[in-house]
Amino acid sequence: MQEDITNTFRKAKVGEKIEYTGSMLVMRDIAQKRLVEIDKSGAALPLDLNGQVAFYAGPTFAKGNMVIGPTTSKRMDKFLEFLISKGIVATVGKGRRTQEAEVLCVKYKVPYFVAPSGCAAYLANCVTNWEIIAFEELGPEAIYRIEVTGFPLLVATDVFGKSVF
Amino acid sequence: MKTIDSKIVYERVCNALLDVNTNIDPRVEKLFENYDGPFAREIKENMNIARTSKMPLCQDTGIVEFFVWKGYNVHLTSPLKDTLERAVREVYTGSGFRKGIVSDPLFERKNTLDNTPAIIHIFEIDKPVIDIWMIAKGGGSENLSTIFMLQPSESYENVLKTIVNHIENNAANACSPIIVGVGIGGTSDKAILLSKLALFNPSTIELLHRYDEKIGEYSQMANELQERFSNLKIGVQGLGIGPTVQRTNVLNYPTHIATLPLAISVDCYLSRTLSVVIE
Repeated sequence: MQEDITNTFRKAKVGEKIEYTGSMLVMRDIAQKRLVEIDKSGAALPLDLNGQVAFYAGPTFAKGNMVIGPTTSKRMDKFLEFLISKGIVATVGKGRRTQEAEVLCVKYKVPYFVAPSGCAAYLANCVTNWEIIAFEELGPEAIYRIEVTGFPLLVATDVFGKSVF
Repeated sequence: MKTIDSKIVYERVCNALLDVNTNIDPRVEKLFENYDGPFAREIKENMNIARTSKMPLCQDTGIVEFFVWKGYNVHLTSPLKDTLERAVREVYTGSGFRKGIVSDPLFERKNTLDNTPAIIHIFEIDKPVIDIWMIAKGGGSENLSTIFMLQPSESYENVLKTIVNHIENNAANACSPIIVGVGIGGTSDKAILLSKLALFNPSTIELLHRYDEKIGEYSQMANELQERFSNLKIGVQGLGIGPTVQRTNVLNYPTHIATLPLAISVDCYLSRTLSVVIE
């Protein structure tokens, strides 16, 4: 199943729109910083990143929904190589990344998608399930696993070296 | 002396904070009427869903900034800062808006769990009213704030270029079509403050000159900037189609003979600003 997704991702061309159904790991600045620190200390990570999609976001919860949307990916560029080394197969966020990050996307065949920003009420309806995986005390900065249906993504950097920006 | 009941201030501000996070500014909605580029459906439906469901337009419901114009002879029945902080706490914890503020910014970064403190500026005016401007300021757009301490002899053209370059290099990392606020003059802090005020709606900004006659508006310069921004191909969500900047305002203030402060602030496309006047 996850292998199929990886193949679909790798075929996707820049500018292409995908309605993604599957799971994502929600993580942002501080959670990734902590993962790197844990890894450096030699301890085991509190979750398995292999084969997963990283979604740069920090949700809120309203009217029984997880209300969510992408945050600026550029801030996460310094953690991208680490995530890839742990098996992340795609990243989702908003905005243009650094050239260094785009090079990594191509080199390791890990495409970068953008999700519509400032559209959290819409995206809330695409999230069908969620659970906290790590760092619960961080609140909106914790790591969540979410299940999504028909989640709109646009290929921003494909594995062929093209970028939409 | 004119007395205003702080309960009324509290209720009006609570309603405004709910409104600003769930009801899109009609001018922004109109801007997207003819947009059919990437994510057009999601952007338009989001506005409808937020309005009817009262879920927030964006998960980043911001740090709340207040700019308060308070008559010198207006007496409030409670301390104003307490009233405003209470309103933020009530609305953000009660409506499922994101609690996105951390204390100790450099080390612990511990979530305050109620989205306080707000950023509060209070100015005294010569009118028997209290006019409260508020903005739900997202982090993505706030990261584009900047200040340049230019030389007094700097050419007008270079000032324009400095602003356009900053927007060209960074707009793709905010949520375009953005609003650009420029503050020129004063001191570094005054220029930044003016650039924030410049993010408000033109009809709100018009009141500024009545509150502080030394605050001026460079309308022609704003038009020239807007014209140059229209040539940027960054587009909606940075994806190349549609406008990059929806509105530009430039405010100015007297400055020191040795200085020419230039501040730029940016607001995201949702333009979550509102003001309430209480008489």
